[in-house]
Amino acid sequence: MIRIEALTHVYPGRRRQPSRVAVSDLTLSVPDGTFTILSGPNGSGKSTLFRILCGLSVPSRGRVLIGGHDLLRDPAAARALMGVVFQNPAVDKHLSVTENLSIHGALYGLSGAALRARMDEALAWTDLDGRLSDRVDTLSGGLARQVELAKCLLTRPRLLLLDEPTTGLDPASRRAFLDALGRLRRALGMTVLMTSHIFSEAETVDRVAIMADGQLLAHDTPQALRARLTGDVVVIETDRPDALAARLRGDLGAGVIRHGDDLRVDEVPGGDAVAFLERVLADYRPEVRGITVKQPTLEDVFIHVTAEARAAGRGGVSEIPRGPTSAEEQQESAA
Amino acid sequence: MTLAGKADPRTLTDTARSSGAVPDGPTETIAPGRAGASLAGVSLALARREFIRFIRQPHRLAGSIGQPLIFWLFLGAGLTPSFNAPGMEGMTYLEYFYPGVLMMMILFASVFASITIIEDRDQGFLQGVLVAPVPRLGIVMGKVGGASLVALFQTAILLLAAPFIGLTMGWGGAAMLAVTLVLVSLGFTGLGFLFAWRMKSTSGFHALMMVIMMPMWVLSGAFFPITGVPAWLHAIMLVNPVTHGMTILRAPFYADPGTLLTSAGYLGALAVVVAWVVVCLSLASMRVGRRDRGAAAALS
Repeated sequence: MIRIEALTHVYPGRRRQPSRVAVSDLTLSVPDGTFTILSGPNGSGKSTLFRILCGLSVPSRGRVLIGGHDLLRDPAAARALMGVVFQNPAVDKHLSVTENLSIHGALYGLSGAALRARMDEALAWTDLDGRLSDRVDTLSGGLARQVELAKCLLTRPRLLLLDEPTTGLDPASRRAFLDALGRLRRALGMTVLMTSHIFSEAETVDRVAIMADGQLLAHDTPQALRARLTGDVVVIETDRPDALAARLRGDLGAGVIRHGDDLRVDEVPGGDAVAFLERVLADYRPEVRGITVKQPTLEDVFIHVTAEARAAGRGGVSEIPRGPTSAEEQQESAA
Repeated sequence: MTLAGKADPRTLTDTARSSGAVPDGPTETIAPGRAGASLAGVSLALARREFIRFIRQPHRLAGSIGQPLIFWLFLGAGLTPSFNAPGMEGMTYLEYFYPGVLMMMILFASVFASITIIEDRDQGFLQGVLVAPVPRLGIVMGKVGGASLVALFQTAILLLAAPFIGLTMGWGGAAMLAVTLVLVSLGFTGLGFLFAWRMKSTSGFHALMMVIMMPMWVLSGAFFPITGVPAWLHAIMLVNPVTHGMTILRAPFYADPGTLLTSAGYLGALAVVVAWVVVCLSLASMRVGRRDRGAAAALS
């Protein structure tokens, strides 16, 4: 459904601001009918990729095919296949639910009886019964998100692109939204590509793609990704991460990743996590605030993969101060 | 570390089978169900939205009618004693200024409409429209057409006052007036659209309005006659398209349609206004069609 070939996007430089590479030679193929989650730290280029995919930006180089249509040469044909749910609401909150849907339908050439039939279809799964003539700004966050998704379903998209659609929702609403999305995807045979930071959302999907620094680091099933980390992960909480990391590396020969203020050992020397834990406690008890042994989750794989990529970029140094957060923090600790 | 090497996305279709995914056919092309709506359909839908939003905001309605009305009554009454333009003997300033106030309402309607472009972008509505498979001119026409509808609605209310100051016209004249009002508001809103499209904040637009759009109205003959002004001002007023808009707006009050449609002065002014509209709308449509472009990247 989506084929991205050698895509590169460079933001042009402005005054006092050098040009910046956001996506670098990225190749990715999303098969028909799959549910893919695209993840990556802030600034990894996934928002840029998303803008390109929905046709709002033209990349510096490369090609994007949506259902076989070249997004750059024939945007209208590609756009007709797509529904896009943005992170920020794209409905007019001054208008009612019905008015929003009918305007959106009109943009895709739907009117009259056809529009009404599609509207019933697109709203069938929602909890918006009885609220259809209410203005969108009177709806709760969860319901407003439902309007957003219903609006996109109106046009029966073959491909649904969602940009962090559950941002700002409470856990129950988030779960409800994702369940509905999963059901609708299977029922309608849609291909779904969704960006997300939340790894619990990724456990049930078909594929997870991980991006960092504009590159695709991994693209695989959640099972296969989890299998990349064999054995347990040890996470150490400490007040002096840098000092302790150096000692662990030197004394125990452990591969240590710094993630925020935590130290992570993804591959335990000797393979026995419990023995390693005991050793750390025996030798460094005063410096350790907490220590955990756990089975790797997708989030652990994500941290591992992004950290390793960063290490490779720095010539093999594996002490990587990074969280999936700010670039500032990285520069600070690098200095 | 037990990472099995960087994933090569091209080989991934093999690993996807476990989840029941269907590998993508390499050359399969999916025909779009519908290639989007017609230009008229898109423009009408978006224009309807503008109008609905307008009538849902009573204070906006009150403000946009009230302000020109107050201007007209107070300035008209106050300036009538000193108004003595050559060739317009016997005309009160209230009467002279009346078409100018119609123009002012159009100006305000256009300014409001242009500001809503910035709001639409800020609040997210615009992104949903931009990713839809619609002709880009439709996005412009929806906004500009909606603004014209609003302007027409506002001016229609003020037109009720025309008979009381002795201005009357037949149906033909009224039709010409309506066409003129629409044309001028297309021109004004098209211009506002051009400026507002890339703007991030509405405050920036206010400054622009005071420096560009407001002077265009002041120097159009709406406020004072073009005759008898210094030569340099006369020249500026002549190149101002709104001046020509003012000419065709004023005309139906004083001449019958038959005379006007054979008058070179009227037709010339009409041509200028039409050109103004066409240029603004084409530029705006091009502007909307332009997508953010990545900078050229050196091949690595």
